[in-house]
Amino acid sequence: MTQSTRERTTGWLMVFPALTFVAVFSLYPAMDSFLLSLYSEFPGSERSFIGFGNYAELVRDPVAHQAFIVTLGFVLLSTTLELLLGTSIALVIHERFKGRGWTRAAVLIPWAIPTVVAAQMWRFLLNDQYGDVNAILFGDQVDAYVPWLADPWMAFGAIVLADVWKTSSFAGLLILAGLQVIPDETYDAARIDGATAWQRFWHITLPLLKPALLTALLFRTIDAFRVFDLVFVMTQGGPGDATQVIQFYGYKTLFTEGRVGYGTTISVTVFVALAILSLFYVRTVGSKLLQREAA
Amino acid sequence: MNGLRASFSIAAYSPLRHLSPWAAGLFTVAVLCAGHVPLTHCQELPAPGKHSGSPPITLHFVTWKADHPQAWDEAIQRFEQAYPHVRIKREIAPHSSTAYHDLLTQKLRNRDVSLDLFFMDVIWPAEFAAAGWALPLDDYFPHGEREKFLPATIASGVYRHHIYGVPSRIDSGMLYYRKDLLEKYEFSPPSTWNALVRQAQAILEGERTTHPLLRGYSGQFKQYEGLVCDMLEFVGSHNGSFLTEDGRRSNLTAPESMQAVRFVREQIIQRLATPAALTYQEPESLAVFIQGKAVFHRNWPYAWGLANDPRHSKIVGKVGVTTLPHFSGGKSTSALGGWLYGISAYSQHPDEAWAFIEFMTSPESQKYFAIHASLAPSRLALYADPEVLHANPQYKNLLPVFQTAQPRPRTPVYPIVSHILQRYFSRVLAFPKTDILEEAQEADRKINRFLSLIRDARE
Repeated sequence: MTQSTRERTTGWLMVFPALTFVAVFSLYPAMDSFLLSLYSEFPGSERSFIGFGNYAELVRDPVAHQAFIVTLGFVLLSTTLELLLGTSIALVIHERFKGRGWTRAAVLIPWAIPTVVAAQMWRFLLNDQYGDVNAILFGDQVDAYVPWLADPWMAFGAIVLADVWKTSSFAGLLILAGLQVIPDETYDAARIDGATAWQRFWHITLPLLKPALLTALLFRTIDAFRVFDLVFVMTQGGPGDATQVIQFYGYKTLFTEGRVGYGTTISVTVFVALAILSLFYVRTVGSKLLQREAA
Repeated sequence: MNGLRASFSIAAYSPLRHLSPWAAGLFTVAVLCAGHVPLTHCQELPAPGKHSGSPPITLHFVTWKADHPQAWDEAIQRFEQAYPHVRIKREIAPHSSTAYHDLLTQKLRNRDVSLDLFFMDVIWPAEFAAAGWALPLDDYFPHGEREKFLPATIASGVYRHHIYGVPSRIDSGMLYYRKDLLEKYEFSPPSTWNALVRQAQAILEGERTTHPLLRGYSGQFKQYEGLVCDMLEFVGSHNGSFLTEDGRRSNLTAPESMQAVRFVREQIIQRLATPAALTYQEPESLAVFIQGKAVFHRNWPYAWGLANDPRHSKIVGKVGVTTLPHFSGGKSTSALGGWLYGISAYSQHPDEAWAFIEFMTSPESQKYFAIHASLAPSRLALYADPEVLHANPQYKNLLPVFQTAQPRPRTPVYPIVSHILQRYFSRVLAFPKTDILEEAQEADRKINRFLSLIRDARE
């Protein structure tokens, strides 16, 4: 009895620093944000408690709806493309060939560039006057140059493209790790049984790669959901709010408009959405991993 | 203006380099005078004697990165010489007006006592006053003194009968044009928007073979604060407005307002300017003009210097500038811009902060800034000053523009109103099939809601 009590005390003592850290740096800010979201506050008005009024407004706010749709579209499109491209990259740099080390390093370059710098670079590349994209596509035919970021759909596409360019290699890296744990013997056995390269990919590589793919998916979805810097630098949400993602809308309401309560409500909603998404992924990924161990 | 500050950044040059010796001497004289002029207010300051033994007071001044840093360094140095017990410590905030606003308001929201002085864009005083962030300057800045400034700049610093800012300069929208092309086709500068369209089309038609890339118009139509300024000029010159006269309701669904918006969509964006203008802030639109790729260009006063600088411009000496056109039956409308000095309500040294503002907005300092930093003075008398006019001959014609510049809505919720306006205009311009009435109604509803919220909170 005393033995186990002492053990429990020691246990609590040992987790105490970690718990304090989490409480101060995660729990407290999260709770404080939640409390702020229950108030109405903007310049020139007194702060007043309105319960879930901000959440009710969010549900009715057409600008927020549009921002959510743009964000979801961005998440779906960019993560799909990044996983496809990431898998291709991983398959290539998994093979043994001359200069593989250099290729692996080179593939990671876009991921290593700060997003703000990359976004500024894409903004220049897509410029209607001196952008390299126009120069490459149309050369001297200057009158054919396209103002890419002026069209709502192309501007949205440009944001997706910039994100795919930047983070496919990160997805590739995670998937490469998954490829490397697949034992060579499995492939040898399949080859002896007469499986073609396509069959080997479809029946061995892909199923065994599932945990790595899910991990990459988890990281990329959460990251894509939080997209802000690309939009901030490349389009400022324009034209016509076509690229206004939810985090940028939250930033504008909170920092520029000074609507502290409503801006925080947007952040809290994004936080809850991401928490649910992460839980869902972790459970799925977790169970997949367990299945593999059991097998 | 969001892009206004950014727009200066392409001007990585300083006129100080071409400074003639007499101009440099002039400044010295000017500053020496300034050191003696504000004697009346020196009385409000603690007597210098008391301070001889104590350490100097440091004022923290949040400013943007100046386009003519030497001019600012010099001016501040002179202030410190005139007031030896005061030191100015500058904190450099972002160039863009919106980014500067976000940083500054965060400090003020936290009641940062280490902040004494700041700039306010002309659209902020109402917000800063309502939030209690800016110190009322009524006692420091008497009516007699205010009368020496351009009335529009003073009005922008007033909120509910108190004044919160001292105008450092004035900005207003104006029409730049290609003098050579207009002369070639025997046009005089257009006074109406329809004449502008006709002239531009005739010139584009005639120049098609030699200048296939020439555009009729270049302006600022990206979704940002500048879009609000450009649209204010079109809507205002069609007898429309953003808010009703009493400022209590949105006026976007008025036929005059909507017709002007339709004109911009159909004649400016889809024809003269091309949709590329939807990505332009000031620097991009100016670049098109000074590369000789546009007949007409809308911009602030600073563009004059760049358009006539051979290091940046291909159209030196071929540029004319005049008031913006109007629609038939309307009158020319120019958006008011510019920056006001303000004192933080949480400052512990308001008297010293005022001494700084008084020094920097004195006739001598403004004259110096007009000559060496191309900043249009906010003091009326300087528009008759031969040296100022020698350095800026265009001011002579532009004074009427400065005197009638139109402010954007004055309300503590201006940032919210601006975002609603930006969304409305940008959607209508970027999606050519949207129904203007529907979009205007949506914007109307939202603006009215916030205006009534702020009224309820006050009344």
